[in-house]
Formats: sequence, C-alpha cells, structure tokens
Amino acid sequence: MGKVVGIDLGTTNSLVAYVDNGVPAVMRDDSGDALVPSVVSVGEDGTIFVGREAQRRLLTSPTRTVYSVKRFMGRGIEDVRGEANLLPFRIGGETGGVVRLGIADREFTPPEISAFVLRELKHRAEEHFRQRGEFDFEVDRAVITVPAYFNDAQRTATRDAGRLAGLEVLRIINEPTAASLAYGLDKRNRGTIAVYDLGGGTFDISILKVEDGVFQVLATNGDTHLGGDDIDRLLVEQVIAGISSRGPTGSAPQPSPGASAPQLSPEAIQEIRKAVIQAKLDLSDVEEAEIRVEPSPGVPAGYRKRITRGDFERLIRPLVERTLDPCRQALADAGLEARDIDEAVLVGGSTRIPLVRRVVQELFAREPHSELNPDEVVALGAAVQADILLSGRREMLLLDVTPLSLGIETMGGVVSKIILRNSTIPASGREMFTSGVDNQTGVDIHVLQGERELAADCRSLAHLHLKGIPPMPAGLPRIEVGFQIDANGILSVAARELRTGIEQAIEVKPSYGLTDEEVERMLIESFEHAEADFEARLLIDARNEAESVIQATDKVLRRPDFAAIAAEQLEPGERERIDAALAAVKASMGSTDRGVIQDKTHALNHATQHLAEVTMNRSVREALAGRNVKDV
Amino acid sequence: MLECRSCGAGAPVDEHFCPQCSRILALGRHGDYFAFLDLPRRLTIDAQDLERRFRDLSRKFHPDYYYNATPTERLASLERSSYLNDAYRALKNPVSRVEHLLAIEGLPPAKSEEGTAKVPPSLLEEVFALNEELDEIRELRESGTDPEPLRVRLEAARKPIDEKREEHERQLLELSARWDSQEQSPAAEKRVTLDALRERLLERNYINNLLATIEREVANLSAGSGQPASGSK
Repeated sequence: MGKVVGIDLGTTNSLVAYVDNGVPAVMRDDSGDALVPSVVSVGEDGTIFVGREAQRRLLTSPTRTVYSVKRFMGRGIEDVRGEANLLPFRIGGETGGVVRLGIADREFTPPEISAFVLRELKHRAEEHFRQRGEFDFEVDRAVITVPAYFNDAQRTATRDAGRLAGLEVLRIINEPTAASLAYGLDKRNRGTIAVYDLGGGTFDISILKVEDGVFQVLATNGDTHLGGDDIDRLLVEQVIAGISSRGPTGSAPQPSPGASAPQLSPEAIQEIRKAVIQAKLDLSDVEEAEIRVEPSPGVPAGYRKRITRGDFERLIRPLVERTLDPCRQALADAGLEARDIDEAVLVGGSTRIPLVRRVVQELFAREPHSELNPDEVVALGAAVQADILLSGRREMLLLDVTPLSLGIETMGGVVSKIILRNSTIPASGREMFTSGVDNQTGVDIHVLQGERELAADCRSLAHLHLKGIPPMPAGLPRIEVGFQIDANGILSVAARELRTGIEQAIEVKPSYGLTDEEVERMLIESFEHAEADFEARLLIDARNEAESVIQATDKVLRRPDFAAIAAEQLEPGERERIDAALAAVKASMGSTDRGVIQDKTHALNHATQHLAEVTMNRSVREALAGRNVKDV
Repeated sequence: MLECRSCGAGAPVDEHFCPQCSRILALGRHGDYFAFLDLPRRLTIDAQDLERRFRDLSRKFHPDYYYNATPTERLASLERSSYLNDAYRALKNPVSRVEHLLAIEGLPPAKSEEGTAKVPPSLLEEVFALNEELDEIRELRESGTDPEPLRVRLEAARKPIDEKREEHERQLLELSARWDSQEQSPAAEKRVTLDALRERLLERNYINNLLATIEREVANLSAGSGQPASGSK
C-alpha cells in the first residue's frame, strides 16, 4: 500500500499536502514553492508541460496551453461559450455533451487536462518521500477537494481526473470544509463558523457548527463561476478597450466607443493578462499600481496605465457583491443570522483583496480569520482528512451536505425533489415507478439537480433507463428506485421491482460526464503516452536541477566577501571560466534536449567545484572562530 | 429480527452492531426514527440531547471509518449513516416529527392531496372571506388601480389567517403535551389524540397555502408597481 495525500486541485494553482507525525504540511519543490500552477501545455512534439513550465509557455505558445480548466469540469459547451472568446485555446464539443479542449491536432476533455496536473502533484509527493529515504514512496491514493457548490457532474469529473492520473480518490471533500478542518486543529473546539472561499474560479460559503470534534456543515451555497479569473477578465477587457481606442499608432488617445475590438493575438492577450494579474496582486498591498504591458509583436506600442485601488474597487465591486446573496441564502438555510456566527474564515487567493475582506467583515460584523495562508489551507485540510481515513481515528469527523436538491422529471417537465439541498450526506431517497402500458419492460428516468421547479431550469445529471421489468399489466409493477448520495456528494442509483424482488439493470447516460468506457479508453491512451510523458518529466527534472545549480552559483557570486575570496583564493581565469559555464547553462534552459542541459549543468558544477570548496572552508572557519579549542 | 451479513447471527431490529461479531449491521427495513435513536415515542424532545445522539451515532456509522472494512460493512455504514441523517432531520423539526409519529402509528400521511383540495370545516369562514377579497384585489390590480391601497387591503386580509395560524401552533403544542402524557393510556384515547394532531397538520398545510397565496399577490403588486402606468404617479 502506497501513501495517501491531500490535494487541492485549484482553478489557478494546485497543491499537495501530507500529515507527518500529526502535523499537516504542504509539499514544496526545491525552491520552496508549494504552488503548482494548474496550467498544461502541449509542446510541438507532443511533450506535455505542467505547472511553472506550462505557465511560461502561456506567453510563447498560448494556443497550445490550457489554464483554468476547472471552470470546464463537468460542464457543457453551451455553459462556457460566453467566456471562450478571450481564451487562447479552442473550445468545442457537441451541444449537450462534455466540453472538449482543442490543442493543435489533439483534443482533451477537462478531466484529462486535470489529470496532468494531478500527475505532477503525485510526482512531487513521490519525489518528496523518495528524498526522505522512504522505501515505499509510491503515492496511489488521495483526498481531493472541490468547491462545495460543485454538482454531481463536476465532482464525478474530478474523480475521473484522479483515476486518469493513477490515483484512487478515497474521498472528495469540499474546500471550505477542508479549510475548517485545518483551522479546527488548534482552535476553539466549539462554535459556529462561516467559511468564505473566493478562489481563482469559484466562490463558496459554508456555515458549520463545530462541537466535540464533529464539523457539521449546516448549509452551503456559492457560485461555481465566480472568482479571480472574472476580475482578471474585467481588467483585460478594460486594457483591450484602452489599446483599441488609441488607434493603430499607439499615440493620440481617441476615445471611440463604437470601434470594434482590435484583433489581438493570443500572445498579446496573455501578455495583457499577465500584466493585469500583477497589478491586481500589487493593489492588495499598495494604493496605486501600474498595468504595464511590454511592447511585443502583438502590442507593438506596449501599454501603461496607472490604476488606483479606488478605481480597481469600483470596477470589481459588482463581482464581489455577487458573493453576498449566496451568503445570505446559506445563513437562512442554516436558520441563523449573521450575528450568530462566532468566527468567519477567509480562504482562497482572492480574499487577499482588501475590498473582499471589508465586505466579509461588514457582513459578519467581525474581523475574519486569515492566519493560515489562504492558498494552502485547503490542501492542509485535505491532508488531515486523508489522515483520518487512513488512521481510523475518530476524534474528528466531517459531516458535509449536498449543495443542491436532487430530483427527477415528472409529468409536464416538473421536477419532483427526492433529496433536498443541505441534507447531510450520505443521504438517500426513494421513489416508486410503474409502467404506463401493458407488458412494458423499460422505464426512462431523467435525474436533475437544482432548486427550480421546471426540469428545463435545473441541471440535467443523467438519463436512466430501467430494463428487464417483468411483463405485467400496466400499473402493476412496483419499481422502487433508490437514490444514494455518498459522502463525496456523488450519486448512485439502484432499482428493484418489489413484486418479484428482481434487481433492475440501469443504464446511465451522464449528461455532462464521461462514461466508464470513455474513462477506460483514456486510461489506455494515457499509458500509450506514458513514454512521451516520462521523457517530458526527465526534461523538467533536468531544468529544475540546472535552475538550482544556477541559483547556488549566483548566491556565492553575490556574497559580500566574494571579492576577497576571488582575490585571495581563486586562480587566474577561474572567475571567467565560472561565468562562461554559468552563461552556458542559462542559455541551454530553453532547449528541449535534456542531454544538453545536463551537460552544461555538469560543466558548471565542475567549474565551480574549487570555488565551492573554498567558500565552504571559509564558512566553517568563520563558524569556529571565536570558540575555543575545548568546544570543538 | 436482522441477520448479520458478516457472521450470520441474528440481531434485534434496533441494534446497530451485531451482538455476536460486533460488526456494523445492514439496515434492513427499519421505519422508526425514535427507536433508531433509542428515544421514546414522545413529541417533546430535548434538542441538545437529540444532537448529541446524532453526533455519537455519526461517530459510529460514518463511512470515513469503514475504509478498510469489507464491502458488506461499507454498505451497512453507508445505509446506516444515510438513515441516521434522515432520522435526525425528521425529528429535529417539530412538524416533521409529528408527521413521522403519525406514520409509524399507522395513520395516513397528513401531506396528501386532501389537505389542499378540501377546505377544513374549521376554516370555511376565513377561506370564503379571503377568496372574495383576493378576487376583488386581483380585478382592481389588473385594471391598473394604484397598488398602495391594495397592499393595505392585503395586509388586512392576512390578519385573520395569521391569527388562525397562531392558534394552531398553540393547539399543536397542547396536543403534543397530551400525547406525551398518555404513554400508559388505552389505545383508543391515544388514537383520539393522534387523529386530532393529524387534523391540525392538515389545517396547518392549508393555512400555509393561504399565506403563500397572499404572498404571491403582494409580489404581483410590487411587480406591477414598476410599470410606467403606476410609476408616472
């Protein structure tokens, strides 16, 4: 049995965490970075890049690079058409089916893209365990978090992604609940908590009651299409409007509201996106920032504009205020008033925005908690849950709810609710069916999720087809269909004809998901690509190795006493040889030939060997200086 | 009687764990939330006690603790947890608590269509007056009359219904207390109390429907007031 980790599969960034001796910790790379950007890029030769590397490629190969794929999980093409125009990659798929993302000549479903990110996290965790000298370092199981307001299709898509990445998904848990677990570790052990989670792409509010180590969610609400991405898009649109209004020369600002948006290249849009994200981040710390797009082929004149925090807040206020209705609804569903909340907790990178903090503070009339890093707290909670599952320790227990009512379509397109929203999960419900005509052997059932009365206004989950009903006169069969929502918030269905006791076969056609056969086929394909992926992995490892040698060398060269070292202890020409080797490694970083990078790295290591020895001896001498011989 | 699917031993229907092998038992066809939570069939419930029982049983049943168990036990854990969640939800709310009591005492559900189709005799007078008033208000609204006086009339029409509802809440409380004191009483006496409880629930559903109708009419007025015809005033 391998290791079990907790994974926060985010819209913008993903993280992996693990509980070690009772303490949860996120796993970092060699440079101390815990965040793996949820970006996947396909190289010209089919190589898959994930994380920072893929993020860099957003600027150079935007049409081959996918980001924010979480927004497409479990969704149909008709859901996302509105935002497709600013995305550099192709979005397709049949109406009424899953979204497909086109990169060059390949097509991927969102779970396949997410699986690449998960594989990267799995690899990071395994590397961590391997370096610690563990014999069994394989990571084969995980707890993965999802937004609390994710529906069945979105949760199932996340579980499929785990399977495709070679991970058994032990549990899907909700992000705000995970955060409360992480906070609950060393905080007061009873009270009512509101978790406000505004991430890169999704918003959740969960109201929990904590008592005796039981974290019971009373109500949850949210918006699976509201987050930092939307803020970025507003800013990008503003910059595009600014660029288009100043005319082709880039001088003479000419406000022309009627002018059509210029055809900016995907590269240009990514440059702009990068610039506005930087400005957005800056505005969380300072009152005024600059949106600075460097001149590039896409934006020859570049673009610069100062933006104050006030401007920024005016722009995003409507978005931030969209979080308030879900908060009020969750409070009402929990039967509470804002003043009944003992603690408010902030989760998600977008809660660093001062306006968001103010809005939360006003709503709950108290200073919200943000002691734990809002980027890391969800992964930490997932690791805690993984530890609970593994150890069977019963001090802590999460009792979550299903965010949306589950129902079936009845006569006239009306939805009959079977399991109500905010029911504690696992939850079950049953419904009786019969036949309409003599000797009918099949029944079709349309399963939906949502709060509206009409099927057309709810989210279609699946069409079920009950087969093999014993031939009987109309109305005589009594078929009991049992709906079971498990602790992951995922639905399963079973049916039985009560007169004969015959278990009915059910054919499930998910509306926005993959069938088991599709997942199997993708698994086989991923094995076929495994060799190429393995090569890509080695290339990335080589780059990381090179990067760390570069950093170590730079660090020594910047030492205050380096001039003294060079003068006293380096041989003539040694400094020049080091500089040349360093430049060679830096130049090789862009290469896709791992051998070249490794050679140059090796050469730099060789060139700096003497310097390393000299500086190490010097450090040791300094450390010992001032102590007397007896201490040594 | 339940059969333990792990060891084959028999177990009483209200046991959660097999007396012989101590594994979690499959749920079977359980129907009594009170017995499941080891509570007497009484309508007055200490909310904190109920919550504590819910937490304690959750700690025993939850699927999180059965990851390494056999498929049989995992299924039993899922069933028992789901049933516990239903039981807790039903008993926590006073109205659904009465509904459940009626169901396990063998009375027909109080939610059936008759609740909305037939006017309960005790409400005839109020319903008649309200319907007449609502018809008039609708007519006036559709002819474009100023909505403000109509709003006042709706409020006035609502008052007797609100009062009826309060009276009902009192009656429900009284009947609940009577039921709780009748544990040792003859079945016929208990049945009278149950029938009265059921009657009140049906009326209560009816009253809630009336209030909802009034609310809809208020909403219609507000929606209408945004139109230019009344906005120009």
